[in-house]
Amino acid sequence: MLEIDNLSVKANGKDILKKISLEVKDGEICVLLGPNASGKSTLAYTIMGFPGYKVTEGKIIFNGKDITDLPIEERVKLGMALAFQHPPSIKGLKLSKLLEKICRQTIDTEKFPVSTDLLEREVNVNFSGGERKLSEIIQVISLNPGFVVFDELDAGLDVENLEKLSSLIKSELHGRSILLITHRGRILRHLKPNVAYVMMDGQIVCSSEDWKKIWETIERCGYEKCKECELRSDRP
Amino acid sequence: MKNVRNANYVQIDHKAQISEEKDAVVLSSPEAYKRFKWTKEYFDKKPKEGYFIWVRKSLDHPLVTRISISSKNVSQNPANLVVIEENVNAEIYSVCNALKKNLGGDHAGYSKIILKENSRLVMTHFHRWGKRDVVSSNLDIFLGNGSEISDAYKCLEIPMRLNMENNTYLEEGASANLVITVLAKHGEVKMHDSTYLNGRGSRGISRIRMIGDEKSRITAHSQMIANDAGTGHVDCMGLLLAEGSSINAIPELVNNNKDASLTHEASVGKISEEVLNYLRSRGLTEDQAIDLVVAGFLGEEEPIVIEGQVIPLKPYM
Repeated sequence: MLEIDNLSVKANGKDILKKISLEVKDGEICVLLGPNASGKSTLAYTIMGFPGYKVTEGKIIFNGKDITDLPIEERVKLGMALAFQHPPSIKGLKLSKLLEKICRQTIDTEKFPVSTDLLEREVNVNFSGGERKLSEIIQVISLNPGFVVFDELDAGLDVENLEKLSSLIKSELHGRSILLITHRGRILRHLKPNVAYVMMDGQIVCSSEDWKKIWETIERCGYEKCKECELRSDRP
Repeated sequence: MKNVRNANYVQIDHKAQISEEKDAVVLSSPEAYKRFKWTKEYFDKKPKEGYFIWVRKSLDHPLVTRISISSKNVSQNPANLVVIEENVNAEIYSVCNALKKNLGGDHAGYSKIILKENSRLVMTHFHRWGKRDVVSSNLDIFLGNGSEISDAYKCLEIPMRLNMENNTYLEEGASANLVITVLAKHGEVKMHDSTYLNGRGSRGISRIRMIGDEKSRITAHSQMIANDAGTGHVDCMGLLLAEGSSINAIPELVNNNKDASLTHEASVGKISEEVLNYLRSRGLTEDQAIDLVVAGFLGEEEPIVIEGQVIPLKPYM
């Protein structure tokens, strides 16, 4: 589904990602863990083709096609989607109107824990943390994507809301490929990823199919210890 | 189509036609000036054209007026008067437009709206002009004790030059919710609106939404003046879409009463890259994203059809 091959990225003139390689297979949930400012969101924006993230080396392959230079909307057409960590507010534009414009599949809003009130409000204007995340998920589902990046979906969510939204992802995006970016463990228990990667200072320093082992190590020792960890993939 | 209406007053160039209304008096202004002596108090001088609406009983449907330029080089000078009696509710749509783009018309309208005690009016003005027209519009609104007005002006196709001057005077407990929305392209717009809070407990909100597209200049001066213990808010928002165009937003608060409370907010800028990229990440092209933001900014309304003429409320989409 998605292959990132030896990717290096510059943003604001700085080298942020350094020779990243990562793969999300069909129907897999892959988690990217890492401390703040390790480059996780940069990878998300680069995968989606946002301007300002300059690929200096390597490539991004989606379903066998090199998409490294494709504009954002073309990637979306191919079936990619991103749920933002900090989506911008858009005054005057109702969420229902936005959904009407972007929707590729009919959405049964009754399935969602959403009031009509939310749909009739301006996108992200005075939304609570939970409402923002829900709005992101609804939009992503409406695009009917094959591959979704969730950037810090769990940030600012209480336990109940995290559970609700995780269930929603499991039911509505079942069988899709997902790259889950986070630095918290609770969501992993809900979504049970197939593969875990750890990113530090713009590099993938560890990967394993045993996400529990990685997460337990991080919980026990913190990300700083990852540099010395025995699981680290680039250690001799 | 929804919102199909017949007009109560239609003026094409200088010729007026009136449909009788059961619960309201609708006349041409010259006729009203002749027939009702009391109107002399409100007309500054003997009117030559324009409409007169006198609502004495609450209406369950909106009244509609249309003043159009249909021939070349016409110079209109309508004087309009709307009077809403005490405790009466009414709704009015008012359309002023040029039927073709190249008529080179001149429209100088003066309107006065009188709301008597505890009356309510929802008034919506739609203007749509040709590229060579010159338009000036003066509107004075007088709000008696406890009366309320919601007044929206929308012009999405401006003339070569548009000058607007609005003054709203509020007595005790009166409230005014005023919204001006202008999309300027190939032309110049100058707006000056003043809201006077002259009575205790009066409330005024003045919102201006302006979009500066290609080759346009907009100046909007919006004043809120408290002469008594009222509350007022001025809100000027501008979106600048094109290089070389300009928007000058000047919100002004004048407080002459220590118990009054006045606030304002203003912003003028382009659509942020962040918003455009966000919408592109939903599969929209940059142009579609801009259209969507602009349409949202201008407000969402169904188009209306007046006398068989579609009045589009959005230029895009």
